[in-house]
Amino acid sequence: MVKRISALVLAGALTLSLAACGGGNKGGNAAPAGESGGNAATGEKKVIKILHWKQENINKAMEEINKKFEEKYPEYKVEYTTTGPDDEYKQAQRARITANDVDILADLSGMRLSPQEWTPGAKTPDWQQWIDAGLIADLSDQPFVKNWNANDIEKAGTYNGKVYAIPTGKVAMSGLFYNKQIFEENGLSVPKTWSEFIKLNDDLKAKGITPIAVAGKDVWPLKLPVFALQSKILGGGNQQKWIEGVWKGETAFNDAEAIEVLEKAKTIQDNYMIDGFMGIDYASVPSIFAAGKTAMLADGSWDAPTIATANPELKFGYFPLPATEDAAKNASFVGKYDVTWYAAEKGPNKEGALKWLEFFSEPENYTTFVKAAGFIPTQDNISTDSEFIDKELTPYLGDFELAYEIMMINRENVGEHLAAEGVHTEYLAPGGQFKTAKELADVQQKEWEAAAPK
Amino acid sequence: MYPFGKGFSRYLPYLLLLIPMALYLIFYFGPSVMTVIYSFTDVKNVPGSSMNFVGLDNYHDLFYSGNSGERWRSILNTLIFMFVVTIVQNGVALFVAVLINQRLRGDYFYRAVFFLPVVLGVAVVALIWSMMFDPMSGPVNMLYDKLFGYKDMFFASFTHAFGYIIFVQIWMYMGYSMLIFLAGLQSVPKDLYEAGHIDGTNKWQAFRHITFPLIAPSFTVNMLLSIIGAMSTFDIILATTDGKFNTRTMAYDVYKETFRGSLEMGLPSALSVVQFLIILVFVIVAVKQTRKREVEY
Repeated sequence: MVKRISALVLAGALTLSLAACGGGNKGGNAAPAGESGGNAATGEKKVIKILHWKQENINKAMEEINKKFEEKYPEYKVEYTTTGPDDEYKQAQRARITANDVDILADLSGMRLSPQEWTPGAKTPDWQQWIDAGLIADLSDQPFVKNWNANDIEKAGTYNGKVYAIPTGKVAMSGLFYNKQIFEENGLSVPKTWSEFIKLNDDLKAKGITPIAVAGKDVWPLKLPVFALQSKILGGGNQQKWIEGVWKGETAFNDAEAIEVLEKAKTIQDNYMIDGFMGIDYASVPSIFAAGKTAMLADGSWDAPTIATANPELKFGYFPLPATEDAAKNASFVGKYDVTWYAAEKGPNKEGALKWLEFFSEPENYTTFVKAAGFIPTQDNISTDSEFIDKELTPYLGDFELAYEIMMINRENVGEHLAAEGVHTEYLAPGGQFKTAKELADVQQKEWEAAAPK
Repeated sequence: MYPFGKGFSRYLPYLLLLIPMALYLIFYFGPSVMTVIYSFTDVKNVPGSSMNFVGLDNYHDLFYSGNSGERWRSILNTLIFMFVVTIVQNGVALFVAVLINQRLRGDYFYRAVFFLPVVLGVAVVALIWSMMFDPMSGPVNMLYDKLFGYKDMFFASFTHAFGYIIFVQIWMYMGYSMLIFLAGLQSVPKDLYEAGHIDGTNKWQAFRHITFPLIAPSFTVNMLLSIIGAMSTFDIILATTDGKFNTRTMAYDVYKETFRGSLEMGLPSALSVVQFLIILVFVIVAVKQTRKREVEY
């Protein structure tokens, strides 16, 4: 009897763990699109392998586009595989391109961080090594490249004068979502300068409203509001100059501007962020904001669809964090290019990959994609019909700049307070060990110098 | 006289042995040796790229570059992790095993319950404890708040996260060590205790002089398994903090450098070699020490 019970318990535990695995793995690892089409019986189809990460809204649009592609070109079959995001994806990306087992692959952003002559000893990024090893197809002569905004192709898809990648959209990272209802009820308006922003936060606190939510547990969301500070403050608003400066020893991680960035970030973290923000994970933060628990949310523009899903009733906007006292300078977003396509040179079906990219580049299909993704389009004259993009993002796109993490070329083996192109405000008290911005800045400069090429 | 026959069939056993030997050499021994060789090169995970010998450069980079302070910290973390996990896990496991071995009512049930976390697997265990330790709404924080009026950040705390990971690791694998101890305990002959009883031993003496020497082989096995296991653990760290908040160990660094760092494979190979050497030292010491205690009556 006892044996039977323990066997039951064990069996129960086993199925439980299996069920839990199943739950966590929604959608499975590989989700070949068009499988439901049911016309698999027709024999010799040429397979196009596309590798991408899981992001529900975009995946759905991709499957739609792939289906249309297969209808138009019945000789092809698209095998659309998605993995978990970030590191899991990076791993899959490397494995598949090295094995020549992919035709089209997405990258997390446009081309970036390529070593310059002023960055001796800097690491060569993956994409550049792949191109140098002849693994990525040259798209320069493809007519579909003309469909894309020439400036965006130049900035995010060109290497050594040749086009290798198609950036499919931009996202803003430096803004704050705000709850329009809370702002209206309390007679508050969108701040244009740093002091207005501080006053807004104080007003909210005086009324017993928590100003800002952020997902500190994942650490990287803390970088987002700081991108605004870095872009507008470093180098007097010329980040590129400041970055070149730290390499050449003209500027420093503990110079007045860099400390101002950290000080301002610390002011926000210490006074205006929700209690226990270091324990909030990224997946649950939109619902905290959507439920009206905070007036603002520090997050990238890509999360707008998630917030809207969490509370369809919520009226929310998005404004750039005003980093300085200069309202005109503050009034633009800092961000990055998002999903960027590369075609593999030595993949099983390069010709199919080019065909697919051509199809994707047709304005009609691209519109389907960009609408679902919520990106700022990188093709001209695309109408997204999105109130969020038109009313909240477009007014601030004039001087769209790339974020620090996209521009900063790091030294190899640089210490953890600078690693991964971040500013690492998580190391500031109370969570971290540094009581003041200056202490952290000094350690950062020391680590930067320690990593100098010999 | 000729158990394997004559002529060709004499060599048959050796030929058959070749199959597992070849598999072992190709898939285990070969890659291990290659790792050592790679650690002296600048090999890259890019097809068609060249490979050059760079001497001790990778080892130099490990310990004398901008971020080598963090390397030392991961080594220290690894040692702390190993000592605490090995001692506490085996201590608790032995205690529980002795309790269960007393022919309690429902000992099968307890056994199953204590073994359950092993069956659950790392991902599930990490999920369970991430929810238990959720700083915003987790039950453990509510308990802390009620009892001590204190709230913790758990896996997001620079000072406490590593301790919580050690706790979860022990919680997870305690049942495994317990099962091995239990098997050892059940093989101790009852008449030894009777003889001891006649000689007037108390419970502690019986444990110290009869039980403990006789289960020394299980002790050796458990020590080795937990040392090696603890030294090469990265999965629970990956699943709870992902190496943030000062929770990196050497094994985690190897994983991170290999699969998420740059495409260079030399540095992570060197790191694995260093890790291997440290494990080797501890395993040799542990085997020598525990072997001494093994006896047979």
